Amino acid sequence: MLSCLTLLSCIEDQDFDQFDEIGVTPTVEASILYVEAPESLVNASTQANVISQEFNFDAFSSNVFSKRVLDGTITYIVENTTESELSVSIELLDVDGNVLDTVIIPVAPAPMEMQQVDVAYGSSGRSIDIIKNTSSIRVEAVNISGTQSASTAAEPKVILKSSGKFRLEIVQ
Amino acid sequence: MRIPLTLTIVLFWTCFTMFGQNKQLLYDFVEIPQSAMVNPGVDTDFQWYAGVPMLSGVSLQAGLSGISVNDIFSNDGLDINDKIRDRAIYGMNARDELSGTFQIEILNFGFRGKNPDNFYTAGMYIEGDAIGYWFQDYAILGFEGNADKLNQAFDLGHLKTRGELMNVFHVGLNKKIDNELTIGVRGKIYSSIFDFNSTKNKGTFITKEGVNNIYSSTVEADMQLRTSGLNGLKDASDDGTLGSTITKRAFFGGNLGVGVDLGFTYQLSDQLVFTGSLLDLGFIYHSKDIKNYTLNGKATIEGIEIILPDAAADPNEDFWQELVDDVEGFVPFNDNTDSYVAFRPTKLYSSLRYNFGEHVDNRANCACGVNASSNRARAKFVNSAGGQLYVINRPRGPQVALSGFYQRRFGNFMSVKTTYTIDKFSYSNVGLGVSIQAGPVNMYAMADNLLSYGNLADSNYASFQLGLNIISWGKK
Repeated sequence: MLSCLTLLSCIEDQDFDQFDEIGVTPTVEASILYVEAPESLVNASTQANVISQEFNFDAFSSNVFSKRVLDGTITYIVENTTESELSVSIELLDVDGNVLDTVIIPVAPAPMEMQQVDVAYGSSGRSIDIIKNTSSIRVEAVNISGTQSASTAAEPKVILKSSGKFRLEIVQ
Repeated sequence: MRIPLTLTIVLFWTCFTMFGQNKQLLYDFVEIPQSAMVNPGVDTDFQWYAGVPMLSGVSLQAGLSGISVNDIFSNDGLDINDKIRDRAIYGMNARDELSGTFQIEILNFGFRGKNPDNFYTAGMYIEGDAIGYWFQDYAILGFEGNADKLNQAFDLGHLKTRGELMNVFHVGLNKKIDNELTIGVRGKIYSSIFDFNSTKNKGTFITKEGVNNIYSSTVEADMQLRTSGLNGLKDASDDGTLGSTITKRAFFGGNLGVGVDLGFTYQLSDQLVFTGSLLDLGFIYHSKDIKNYTLNGKATIEGIEIILPDAAADPNEDFWQELVDDVEGFVPFNDNTDSYVAFRPTKLYSSLRYNFGEHVDNRANCACGVNASSNRARAKFVNSAGGQLYVINRPRGPQVALSGFYQRRFGNFMSVKTTYTIDKFSYSNVGLGVSIQAGPVNMYAMADNLLSYGNLADSNYASFQLGLNIISWGKK
């Protein structure tokens, strides 16, 4: 009976070659780095860097990410409630400490608008290899006004926020 | 359009990825000895029977709810990724499933005792059973990611699956209490070959606006995967001893369990029969070759957080590694070898059958008749019709199927049963079963969801059962 059913059965035209066209490319986003410096630190470094520090960040260079990332954007947001004018630079470094990319964000003294910079990587932006090879992030902030801040805000500080939004190729 | 290769692919896919468990055609098909396997209290009239080893009962059932092969692979000119997104990822829901079972009888025989009201059965069969619910939120995350889905909680409980392979030894007694009531009980010993289950998962993954940074990502998980036998099988495969390892486990060398089947047939009137059965009321205690995995805890991260000036105290501090360690500490992924109990998927059958038409001579060694009051087997009617209920206990709760059936007997030579079943897989499941008696040789074959054979690729459910037995009714 099963044989008869099988012989008599029909099937509409199927195209299993479509399997090769399946593309799974999710877009993921998450925060990357948050740096907060109080006014006292800004005032203590009027002639030098408020901060100059390198942070290990292996998320991008890990195989699970670097072998799959197609393109994406890193968003930086700087908020300054001190009265000092600053220059913030973010450098993406490879495992040997070589600078792969630099983003400089001039920061006006308070009151200021929240400053947002979006940096695209991949097809419509800088090379995605920058992201794939990033092993650490160096953040520098310089008090370029060279003045003491005496903000009347409750807790004057400089804040750098950042997040990444990347498209990954899981299946192609 | 007939495409043998494509048909083969679809049949393979159908048989091995889509499963169900309902045996509505076999149930109460009293001409077939294997009907006792789905109701130990079936009203049987055999003197003895012996199934042909390995061929007495082969069943394979497959069910997939919510989608079909045709929905994805139809040559309709649409982009397959759009079809996957619309019909699978968002077209299905977390209650849709891939599930099923297979059974292969190795031995099955039965005989009537000195007390002709007692009929004994025994045997052994291999059973595999598996179910996986559609992990919708995982699929959304995997296909689309979490971007632009702020405040959308992804349910980690959508991972819900279980499966097992075992050998089952059984001994049963079918006893005719009086002319109205026949009851049956079957004891089972389960000899597990492997088992896995992950059915009580809870938790969420959610991305929100961050407190400090731009986003916060929170995972809260209470998840567990329990396995037994899988590592040993992998080792045996590497050592080239897979066959002997499986055989050893199938014959009491692995994890063991016990269970019971219960059933009855009650003659409400000369023509009206009520039946019911409860199958696989049992469990397996897994204590050997256990490997369990757990993910339990809660963590919220907003990336690396540097609060100066304290964070600059140690220039060599690795904030990234601390973040990773924190997440692994708050949501640890552990394994253990704790024993566990796995309950079998218990099944419930019930039917109401109305017999009508001419009588068919009974082959049993008795003075049988429609109005017999003390004989052990009633004469059958040419026609039977009625309804059946099937319920199976599943990880997301009971699943129900309702069937209407009609059975026609052509003397003692052939009996045909057709069913119409509605369940979560299909509202148009028409099945057909045939039992042929050629002398002492009994052959049967059954298949359902026949309407889907018009386009197999669009089928959500398919099953077949077949078997070969030798039957004796004793001398008349």
